[in-house]
Amino acid sequence: MKNGPLFLLGLFLSAVVAWSAIVLGAHAQLGALTPWFDEGEGSSFPPRPTGLAARGQLVYADLGCASCHTQQVRRPDFGSDKERGWGDRQSVARDYLFQIRPQIGAARVGPDLANFGGRKPQAPSADAVLGLLHSGSERHPAYPFLFETRAIAGEPSSRALKLSGVSAPASGHEVVPTERAQTLVAYLLNLNSTYDYPEAKPLVKAPAKQEGKK
Amino acid sequence: MTSPSIQAAPSPGDAIDRHARGPLLTAIGLAIAWLVLSGVFSLIAAIQLHSPAFLSGCEFLTHGRVRALAESAFIYGWAGGSGIAVTVWILGRLGGNSLRAMNWFGAGNAFWNLGIAAGLVGIATGDMTSFSFLQLPRYVQPLLVFASATMGIAGLLAWSGRRRDGTFASQWYGIAGLVLFPWALTAAQISQLWVPLRGVLQAVGAAWYVDAVVFLWLAPLALASAYYLLPKLNRGVLPSYEAAPLAFWLLVVAGTWGAGRHLIGGPVPAWIPTMAVVGFSLLLYHFSVVGLNLRGAFRAEGAEAGALKFGVGAYVVFGVVAFLGCFRSIALRTQFTHFASATDLLFLYGVVSMLFFAAIYFVLPQLTGRPWFSSSLTSGHLAGVKVGIALSIFALAVAGLSQGSMLLNPKVGFGEIASGVRTYLLVNTAAQLVLLASNLLLLVNFWRSACTCCGGAEKAEGSVS
Repeated sequence: MKNGPLFLLGLFLSAVVAWSAIVLGAHAQLGALTPWFDEGEGSSFPPRPTGLAARGQLVYADLGCASCHTQQVRRPDFGSDKERGWGDRQSVARDYLFQIRPQIGAARVGPDLANFGGRKPQAPSADAVLGLLHSGSERHPAYPFLFETRAIAGEPSSRALKLSGVSAPASGHEVVPTERAQTLVAYLLNLNSTYDYPEAKPLVKAPAKQEGKK
Repeated sequence: MTSPSIQAAPSPGDAIDRHARGPLLTAIGLAIAWLVLSGVFSLIAAIQLHSPAFLSGCEFLTHGRVRALAESAFIYGWAGGSGIAVTVWILGRLGGNSLRAMNWFGAGNAFWNLGIAAGLVGIATGDMTSFSFLQLPRYVQPLLVFASATMGIAGLLAWSGRRRDGTFASQWYGIAGLVLFPWALTAAQISQLWVPLRGVLQAVGAAWYVDAVVFLWLAPLALASAYYLLPKLNRGVLPSYEAAPLAFWLLVVAGTWGAGRHLIGGPVPAWIPTMAVVGFSLLLYHFSVVGLNLRGAFRAEGAEAGALKFGVGAYVVFGVVAFLGCFRSIALRTQFTHFASATDLLFLYGVVSMLFFAAIYFVLPQLTGRPWFSSSLTSGHLAGVKVGIALSIFALAVAGLSQGSMLLNPKVGFGEIASGVRTYLLVNTAAQLVLLASNLLLLVNFWRSACTCCGGAEKAEGSVS
């Protein structure tokens, strides 16, 4: 390592090769991924997010929701994701195709949200999500800054939250979600990865002994 | 390749250090101020983990933002700022000439700190990027690249203009850390923020950057300090030194192959997590050699040696934990849990910070020409951080393992998980409080030590904290 230029060259080459292998290698494999056209349904998947949902993703990112929620369902035999109702299949790269900044996250202080809008038997209602965001719960913080409390002038707003108990506004007032709250909820309910891509089908058939148990 | 393991005897310190004193003291002082600020954010985040309502009504301090603030202030402000300053000083000493381009260093450091300050304001107001370790908003990133490169020039000049022909392990690691970081940050920000990759590829790039910060930047800078300090403290020869070059190149070559350890079971090609097992198997050699080379730390005595010992021990433990975490069966239980935070903490605090503390305790008297203001503040600080780090890592690791096994059981709801780990999270909050209080001792001690020597030159640091 006495030869300075050679040493520096070695450093850069080592680092560049590793970066190229991992990042550019993955890019070579997935960079040209296209949506899947289903001839039976006559449309392609994943669908593009609505404008409101695309804006909501930016709210999700700037509040840092990803520090407690992942958006990546693991395959049924790896963890309890399926049993928890987070999704029947694992998330695949195609699910994130149209996301400007995928929020796959790294911590599960709260539940996974990859298929939040596709939960069974039915997805949570917008009102329930708005209520949680406004009032919080024992385990979820409240974000009152996403809402506006104002005096009712004339007709009450159709968007006003139906609140009761301690979180209810003073009489003659109403709590309405701001635009950010509306886009955030639109985004969350737009998260839907129920469509079965060919690559998401498990390679291994369910083992026979499971059937035997029943 | 290289030569003897006893470090070069330094020329008279004063001549080397005179031009360097102001810029280096300012850089280290600002870094300590960031450490304290980061401690405040970490404390808030720790409280929010067991009491989610805490400060959540304040938009600037949602849990996600506070974590990003704590992480960015810590990595860039504290670890980066102090690591670059200490490494430049070490390269100057080993080069044997007085440091050149220190005005460049000073200017670079000013922009570095301004960039971080602007970036933190950006995160608090909603511009965080949502990539771990790369949370500072896009608009300050180019500034950080130029600022860190500018600071590194002084180190590079000291190395290329060295008096002796041979080089030491400390110099290889120091130069690697200084030159690879600006490149890694450039590659990451282009592929993540300016011309983003498509979809899930961003997650791959982000995972690579996390490991680049760990293995191409902070670990080399921290090892530069460790390899420099140990022969100074116990005046001995490093054992098994002939293995050190291979260990160094393994770190540089294979350090980032392990990026897939963050993506196990995720929506990425399966070879990426598999490559992590390969990478970390190679790195095991690196960790063993570093442990062997630096095992003398466990016999050395003194305040710096105490921190050095902790840092070297933590580095080897971190290597083993990270290696085990690459396996799917283990990741199944630790991934997405507080255990991951414990591993990060083990590296960022247990390894990097402890080694930089050791270096700062060694360097400051050389720069100022007089001992530290108070030796009881020194021992209080080091005792406090050791307790705080150990307690926090233990609490988060146990909480993570218990959270992990509860997550595997679909019948256990999130409420039950939260109440199950609450005790450990409370312990973690207490540990964060201890860490914050200890680091305040360091700030006070540094302030008094630096100010008795150069009067008002350190005024700047107070305004940040």
